[in-house]
Amino acid sequence: MATLRAALRGLRPRPFFGPADAPLRRRSSGAGLLYPEHIPTSPLQKVLLAAGSAGMALYNPYRHDMVAVLGETTGCYTLKVLRDQMKRDPEGAQILQERPRISLSTLDLGKLQSLPEGSFGREYLRFLDVNRVSPDTRAPTRFVDDEELAYVIQRYREVHDMLHTLLGMPTNILGEIVVKWFEAVQTRLPMCILGALFGPIRLNSQSLQVLVSELIPWAVENGRRAPCVLNLYYERRWEQPLGALREELGLTAPPLHVQGLA
Amino acid sequence: MAAPGPRVLAGCCGRRWTRALRSCGLPGLRGSWPGGQLSARLLSQEKRATETHFGFETVSEEEKGGKVYQVFESVAKKYDIMNDMMSLGIHRVWKDLLLWKMNPLPGTQLLDVAGGTGDIAFRFLKYIQGQHQQKQKRQVRTQQNLSWEEIAKKYQDEEDSLGGSHVMVCDINREMLKVGKQKALDRGYKAGLSWVLGDAEELPFDDDKFDIYTIAFGIRNVTHVDRALQEAHRVLKPGGRFLCLEFSQVNNPLISRLYDLYSFQVIPVLGEVIAGDWKSYQYLVESIRKFPSQEEFKEMIEDAGFQKVTYESLTSGIVAIHSAFKL
Repeated sequence: MATLRAALRGLRPRPFFGPADAPLRRRSSGAGLLYPEHIPTSPLQKVLLAAGSAGMALYNPYRHDMVAVLGETTGCYTLKVLRDQMKRDPEGAQILQERPRISLSTLDLGKLQSLPEGSFGREYLRFLDVNRVSPDTRAPTRFVDDEELAYVIQRYREVHDMLHTLLGMPTNILGEIVVKWFEAVQTRLPMCILGALFGPIRLNSQSLQVLVSELIPWAVENGRRAPCVLNLYYERRWEQPLGALREELGLTAPPLHVQGLA
Repeated sequence: MAAPGPRVLAGCCGRRWTRALRSCGLPGLRGSWPGGQLSARLLSQEKRATETHFGFETVSEEEKGGKVYQVFESVAKKYDIMNDMMSLGIHRVWKDLLLWKMNPLPGTQLLDVAGGTGDIAFRFLKYIQGQHQQKQKRQVRTQQNLSWEEIAKKYQDEEDSLGGSHVMVCDINREMLKVGKQKALDRGYKAGLSWVLGDAEELPFDDDKFDIYTIAFGIRNVTHVDRALQEAHRVLKPGGRFLCLEFSQVNNPLISRLYDLYSFQVIPVLGEVIAGDWKSYQYLVESIRKFPSQEEFKEMIEDAGFQKVTYESLTSGIVAIHSAFKL
């Protein structure tokens, strides 16, 4: 009963809902769903999913959904730690309460476009354009068996793009690995740690050398110094100049410019 | 004709309701249902009776067709890989056994319903071609003194290696047909093969047209299995054969437990990892459980008018081949 109430409470501020159930349609497993996209899984299934998704993500790095599934199936303990950390911080607690979502429907693109150059919102929009990504390509959480933790991991995924903007990293493999190292130090999610350690397998030796000698130490140092990035209410900081935001988080400029898509 | 008494009516409705839940349907009763004499109480029962199952979910009958279409649309590209992964390649043996049981002769007109990616059709063509080659080999062995004309003919490209055989692949799903056509191109199957978009419950063919009707792993996805069986009966020539390869009930309790464990724990995970689609494969394993047992399905086939209905369970009943004749 408590979980049902929590589920209903969690569902309210969300901008999306599943299709309204027609009177004829009844899900036989409806009682087990904690949030619309939830797929309940047994421990054996979680183990198999973790192993399978790790293997598939290494085999085919373009399977972002596999990285997401790996995060969901391996993160149960770490997500709790992250959630408690968010609760202790005032801004983080507010995020947990209000549950903002970052998607094309919730972002006011016109307003972001009109912001001055150098502001966080404008730079975020530029990042989306230059790298040709959209906040809507994030798959919803499915395998986390607690709806608040499901939101935490969803928030982490949506904040990932913000981190790219803050760190100045493009979305190619090198940039992604750098961001993963940063996230691994910050969040300690097993998926980030695995991604950080095994991602470089697919790099050529030149990039690998640059990565190990300069980018990783920089990412780790910044990750240690910065407060938990999940505690920032990014939606309220669009007007803040990017430089000021970076200073607030203690982020330095990257040691060299990582070339992304032109 | 006066409307039958309310108790009888409720009784009939009840029977229809439970059988509709089992998705068997009543082929005979449907026609004789009094049209305009429905009372308000009957209407509510009537509404419930148009529900059916979609895996373990309950949906309305109109919805089921659309949902099944979406499932196969999304799995079409990875269909063959997933079949190999899920059955560890055993599905190839099952399909080969179906062909072996069919033992088609050259000149056979085959209709393969729900044949999407063409597995049965390609096997049929290979089988006929194989028979033709064996016949040629036998001929060459027996005839030691060949005339020049005969030798020249043997060197020519024999177009009629199929001997007039033809397979029509019919599927309701465009994506599956697309994948099938591409496979045919890749493997070089051209002659004796046609692709048709059609619904198993309402086939776009005339009566008495085909020698053999096959449906492999398709009939459990049909909303009204009885209608599909009736259509099968209609399009077959007298003397024609109906063959159905489908998942069925396992007869061994130990294997059944292992099979359930594998189906529900491993298969959706495989679907997610390989095809990025958990729900379609969850539907697949659930729909297998909802399909009637070998005996029940045999009765349904008999209800459609077929005779000499037999079945053979393969791999302890994981799949079964039902065979019947239109006489």
